[in-house]
Amino acid sequence: MTWRREQWSADHSLPIGVTKRAAVGELVRAGDIIAAGATLAAALRVPGARRLGLSPSDFDRELRVRVGSDVVTGTVLARVGRRFARSVTAPIDGRLLHVTVDGDLYIAPIVDRWTVRATLDGVVSRSDDAIVEIEGEAWCFQGAAAYGPDAIGELTLGVDGPNADLAPTRIDVRLSGRIIVGGARVSAEAITRAHACGIAGLVAGGVPPAGLRVVYGDAVTASGSPSRDDRPTVLCLMGFGSVSLPAAVYQPFAALAGARAAIHTGSARLFVFSTADIGRIETPSPDVAAKGEGPAAYAPVDRADADADEGEADREEPVQSDEELSPSSNDPSPAER
Amino acid sequence: MTVSTGTEARGVGAPDGIGVPVEQTLVGLGRSLRLALLHGREEASRRAAGQLALASGAEVVARIRATDPRSFVEAAQALRDARPDVVVIQGGPKDQDALAEVLEALRLGCGAQQPLPRIFGLVDTGVAHALRLHADPFEFERFAAASELIEAIRAVRRAGTEETELRDTVIEDGARALATTNGTTALAVDVTERSTSLVLARADGRVEAAHFVPLGLGMGADHVVVRASLDNVRRWLPWPIDAPALLERVFNRPRRPGDVATTEAAVLLEMALAREAIAHALRDAADAGLDVAAMRSSPAILITGRVASLPKAGQSLLVLVDGLEPSAVSTVFREPDEGRAERIGMVVPVTPRKSAKIKIVRASGRSVARVDPGTFGLVSIGDDVDVAVNGAGIRGHGRSGELGVLIDARGRPLWLPERDGERIPTVARWHAALQAIADDGSPT
Repeated sequence: MTWRREQWSADHSLPIGVTKRAAVGELVRAGDIIAAGATLAAALRVPGARRLGLSPSDFDRELRVRVGSDVVTGTVLARVGRRFARSVTAPIDGRLLHVTVDGDLYIAPIVDRWTVRATLDGVVSRSDDAIVEIEGEAWCFQGAAAYGPDAIGELTLGVDGPNADLAPTRIDVRLSGRIIVGGARVSAEAITRAHACGIAGLVAGGVPPAGLRVVYGDAVTASGSPSRDDRPTVLCLMGFGSVSLPAAVYQPFAALAGARAAIHTGSARLFVFSTADIGRIETPSPDVAAKGEGPAAYAPVDRADADADEGEADREEPVQSDEELSPSSNDPSPAER
Repeated sequence: MTVSTGTEARGVGAPDGIGVPVEQTLVGLGRSLRLALLHGREEASRRAAGQLALASGAEVVARIRATDPRSFVEAAQALRDARPDVVVIQGGPKDQDALAEVLEALRLGCGAQQPLPRIFGLVDTGVAHALRLHADPFEFERFAAASELIEAIRAVRRAGTEETELRDTVIEDGARALATTNGTTALAVDVTERSTSLVLARADGRVEAAHFVPLGLGMGADHVVVRASLDNVRRWLPWPIDAPALLERVFNRPRRPGDVATTEAAVLLEMALAREAIAHALRDAADAGLDVAAMRSSPAILITGRVASLPKAGQSLLVLVDGLEPSAVSTVFREPDEGRAERIGMVVPVTPRKSAKIKIVRASGRSVARVDPGTFGLVSIGDDVDVAVNGAGIRGHGRSGELGVLIDARGRPLWLPERDGERIPTVARWHAALQAIADDGSPT
């Protein structure tokens, strides 16, 4: 468990129903929308090839609407013939979702829209209907487990020292949109209050598992539970319970406070986008200091190594760039298909 | 007798006893194999798919029935989120259309996954032909027998490194060796950091295996709590502990893989987790249609893994009788990962309604043990001697190990008082009976 500045990659899983997504090679910043799509309800299966009297392999050529497109009731989806034309039309408003091997069509009504935001400044290295992956350079701390959706915001210290717990009273709406560093422990009360106040995410040495169960349900495990729904985002840095942050871990937080940051819950990583030189940070491996049945504890390393130069910190303001999306390349036009 | 289940497989290309490493439950990819199950509407199909999953040693990440109430989009999303490495299909001709639709959901959900999941079908030739059309672009392989399919999944887990010995196959070999040696049914119970296995081997070489991943004492400890509930783990501890404190200990276990329990509190927590892991594994095995009654009545039982490595033999034996709840006379062995197999005791489970007597016969003579309902304790009988027991509705023979004969008259199913004031003294008494705890009963 170490602060490291190097090249990282972060993959962003996409739900079904992607409409647009960033293209490979595109430059993105953390917080940018890299994919957008529709949340779909139960799909309707519409006979296609059979209705037109075509073989499934020929049906693709007659499609008039690209798979993944939005359609309204009555839209001609496929058509053959001229004088005695036969056609397949959309029975409902929705999204043409899928074409089966038999040449049938699935159309699903749209009930909501979703977006996925980048958690890393960098270049899109992979983009398909399942994942958008970004590669970029950042300060990173590999946590133990993360819960909730990805979060992006300004890194803010919420405690006065590495041994302090984050008091719920220190959380209010003025901190909305920020990622708060909670010291040794954040309680369930602090998590729920932070979510209610619009806090982007919480980072702490440890989180009581009983509190996690209160917030995320009894099925929560020590390996984390990344999700897409509207829930609090929590990153446990060292373990569970109350875990004081060693100086080598805490002091970079102080140095990087105010910088843009992101929590990538899939990999339980905290990315901080700053050119600040926080020194050569080393922390002991878990097996050196973690003993007994309590939460893992880590001996602090040489303070000189961990001291960060706050004066040279180049703080960046959180910026939301304009959306720049390209059509999904996995949704080829009928002609291409 | 020695059956190698350790981290070094003896005799595998190494005459001096140091063989190739035995892979725990990880595949060549460095993680558990992720398995999605698609099965027919019949109960038999669900059970067959369940047995395949348990025997394969893979982690089941999605399960979709042909008559699944989820919509097409929900099924596709569930499969996408599951990111399976292998999809297993089991069903009959009646399920063909419904399974074809599930395969369309798989195409929508996992069509962009890298690498693409492979589809293994245990279906008729005709059904396979129809489903193969819907499986494009996935690789579809049909298997005529369950054993072939399981071997194919294990080949995927090995990921081309054929010299890697999978732990589950070593456990199965161990159970088979014990059954052959004794000429009876044998059961191997293996609980490791992140897996729990139950392998029933018959004298003719047939094996019924159930390998649960993740479900163990380290990386899988939190899954034991999720599946069995925290209260069910806590009830085995012979001292009071509040739920948040226990949960914290359990959640921090995966952070220290490979740690050996050194304090009595840690050992007792491992024992509690192991009991529930075994009990939960039995419930799932019964649900999949495996012969749990035969497992419980097996005359020879081998304990391996972390449970076999507990400091005292009595601790291993206590975990076994509490978790498995044997129903017949059994001789119990344990083989730590870094040691040889040893006979640790003989279990005599009885369920008398009133006081009864059991005749214990051995070469040096015979004795009579008086058994009251609820009795739980060891009868010293001498190291490793042949013993026959008769009476109180039980009859059988075996060999006492270093601990002797354990008379278990607590009844089946095993019941624990709910109130701490009654439960803790009861559990502490059981621990004390097998010298599994310090005399004062407090954690150290």
